[in-house]
Amino acid sequence: MRGFQRQELSRIIEIDRKKCKGCDSCKVFCPTDAIDGKYGTVHRIDSYKCVFCGQCLVNCPFGAPTDVVDPVDQIIEKLNDKKVTVVAAIAPAVRVAIGEEFGMEPGRLLTEKLYGAMKEAGFKVFDINYAADHTIMEEGSELLAKIRHYMLGEPTEHHLGALPQFTSCCPAWVRYVELNYPQIIPNLSSAKSPMMMAGSLAKTYGSTEVWHVKPEDIYVVGVMPCTAKKFECSRPEFDSASQYWEKQGHKALYPDVDSNLTTRDLARLFKKLNINFNTSYDFADGDNPLAQYSGAGTIFGNTGGVMEAALRTAYFLITGNELENLEFTPVRGLKGIKEAALTMKDNKTGKDLTLKVAVVHGIKENAVPLIEQVVAGNSPYHFIEVMNCPGGCVNGGGQPIHAMGTSWVDKWKAMLPWS
Amino acid sequence: MAHYDYVEKAVNVSRREFLQIIGVAGAVMWTGVYVATDLVQDRTKYIKMRAQGIYKDDLKAKVRQSHNNPALNEMYNKFAQKPLSPLAEELFHTRYVDRTKLG
Amino acid sequence: MNHQGEREPRVLKHRLSSRLFHWGLVLGFLPAAITGFIIWLKQGSDDFVNLAMQIHIIGAAIFTVSAILYSFFSVDRIVAFIRQISDWSHSDLKWMMVGGGYAHKMILNKEISVPPMCKLNSGQKSMGVLMFHGGIFLLFSGWILYAFIPLAPKVLVYWFAFGHLWIGLFLGLCTFAHILLGIYNWSDFKAMFGDGTMTLEEASHHNPLWVENKIEPVKKECDSDSEVITACSTN
Repeated sequence: MRGFQRQELSRIIEIDRKKCKGCDSCKVFCPTDAIDGKYGTVHRIDSYKCVFCGQCLVNCPFGAPTDVVDPVDQIIEKLNDKKVTVVAAIAPAVRVAIGEEFGMEPGRLLTEKLYGAMKEAGFKVFDINYAADHTIMEEGSELLAKIRHYMLGEPTEHHLGALPQFTSCCPAWVRYVELNYPQIIPNLSSAKSPMMMAGSLAKTYGSTEVWHVKPEDIYVVGVMPCTAKKFECSRPEFDSASQYWEKQGHKALYPDVDSNLTTRDLARLFKKLNINFNTSYDFADGDNPLAQYSGAGTIFGNTGGVMEAALRTAYFLITGNELENLEFTPVRGLKGIKEAALTMKDNKTGKDLTLKVAVVHGIKENAVPLIEQVVAGNSPYHFIEVMNCPGGCVNGGGQPIHAMGTSWVDKWKAMLPWS
Repeated sequence: MAHYDYVEKAVNVSRREFLQIIGVAGAVMWTGVYVATDLVQDRTKYIKMRAQGIYKDDLKAKVRQSHNNPALNEMYNKFAQKPLSPLAEELFHTRYVDRTKLG
Repeated sequence: MNHQGEREPRVLKHRLSSRLFHWGLVLGFLPAAITGFIIWLKQGSDDFVNLAMQIHIIGAAIFTVSAILYSFFSVDRIVAFIRQISDWSHSDLKWMMVGGGYAHKMILNKEISVPPMCKLNSGQKSMGVLMFHGGIFLLFSGWILYAFIPLAPKVLVYWFAFGHLWIGLFLGLCTFAHILLGIYNWSDFKAMFGDGTMTLEEASHHNPLWVENKIEPVKKECDSDSEVITACSTN
């Protein structure tokens, strides 16, 4: 199929013909104009253009776009299989929204309760906030290597992409680039997303050092605020763990991440297993190394969070000192494009470095100007964080649907549908 | 012009009635506008609330920076050595696909 | 005694601004109602339904502009209308029970006596209540559904759409009945689409209380005998 590698999921969101009113408001939220249908008629999603971000789904007042990938029963089967260790890789944004599916207010921080409910269900926990810290180390080091090589003229032993560097944790953003701006692929960070790092780490380090089970008996389930992650884990190149073990003589084929639940799916799974989330016991999972995370890891869920986390570490790696004001507010908030600059004194050379960064969220309205700058070769930035969903992953396509809200963070622009 | 001999008597609105109408209409419209602007302004409140929850998690964390995560450093020591090491490249880095060229 | 000569006395029932507003409804509300029905059922090709939607929007715009202009320039007519549709009594109940005598006349060809009515009969008053409130809701909800969905809370949009559909369908049915009865009442049809007048006799037949209490002779150049109810002479 055009635009897809073999084995990749190509249908994740579908519009229910009986519910669609043809009001055209999903088109307003779609970052890639992937929705076909004249005003007033039943609309259809074009798989080639769709990046599976789910913004149409969380914003449709009639609930017409539906997530058609339902892995709940399959996962329950795996949970019941004694031979399989089911690992839940839980994203940061899930813990502040899962309560909404059980009558609580948005933003209630429910980490321990969530861990408790996961334990009750039979999952082992791998907190993606840990993997986020991991991503900062890998992506941050990559950025620093590029800075040392391109800005300070030092030789490098790594095969490096180009500056400015774009973050690559958002699979909708990655697919967007691959479909519309393949010329900036060298600018995408080579680091995997936290979820995919978690998958390969779980089936290597996790199997030997943490759970002591065979890697092929580990079933990794991403629990994400995101529908595009269902697409990401189906990408055929994400089998690094099985490749790693094959080199060591253990032949078996399995993906790094086996399956994905959205926050909504997880709530359904709890209900199917008769787990009352409201009365779940708190479980801190203190002995689990893969549940230990820093504050920098958890803020990945917000727009600007990846950038803030990266700056905290970049500052340390360059200057040797900790950033004094850890809350880097210029990159926080719902403004579409946020810019900031951080001047640091390089510990190694004594030179002054000014890191110019940008944070974009809601790629429909805000990404193109910055991309065009990069394509033209006159981008003023060194590092750009891009999140498809307005507000970041906390407002992802897999999150509980909030009845009184919409994702429209921008100023009012006339929506005057016609054809 | 039409020729007619009778016409409806003029409508008379007393001052009291006029004020009543203006009063009620004004109250209805003002309330409506107030409620509407509130609802429109609050449409992204749920996003901000979730984001605040996340920042709260950051504030109460024992460790605030990724490079200070002891469990992560242990993983590097025991397994991946350091970021961008050959093993890290193999397991934690990837390549992308020009999909315009995918049939 | 009538001094008008051969010509019968006429009364102005619908003045120009009201007739223009009615045209606004005919050219605006009616196409919107018909196309609304098509959009609900989504029958036909995509191009057809899209065209229906476009006509729906244009009709809605005409309806909106007419309503705004009428409200600005004819506040007195709106006050008169609201007063009429708020004036209910036992006569109305009795009128409703016999359906105004229309069923008897149309089906049984029999004329029965009905309680005397003012300018609007009970059926027209009912429709007036529905059209006034329903129309305002349709306008308000319709524009939100057209231009403001990304800004409005989703659950609100859902219920507005629900209301817009069912109130629209219901008022569409009422309009259909209104058109049939309007044609049946030929003198009023001619008045509304013509110069707004009908003979005093026609008016007395349908709206006796209005003729008795609510109308007055037109003030002509002759001296003011305003207490005298008979028509002024033309000389």
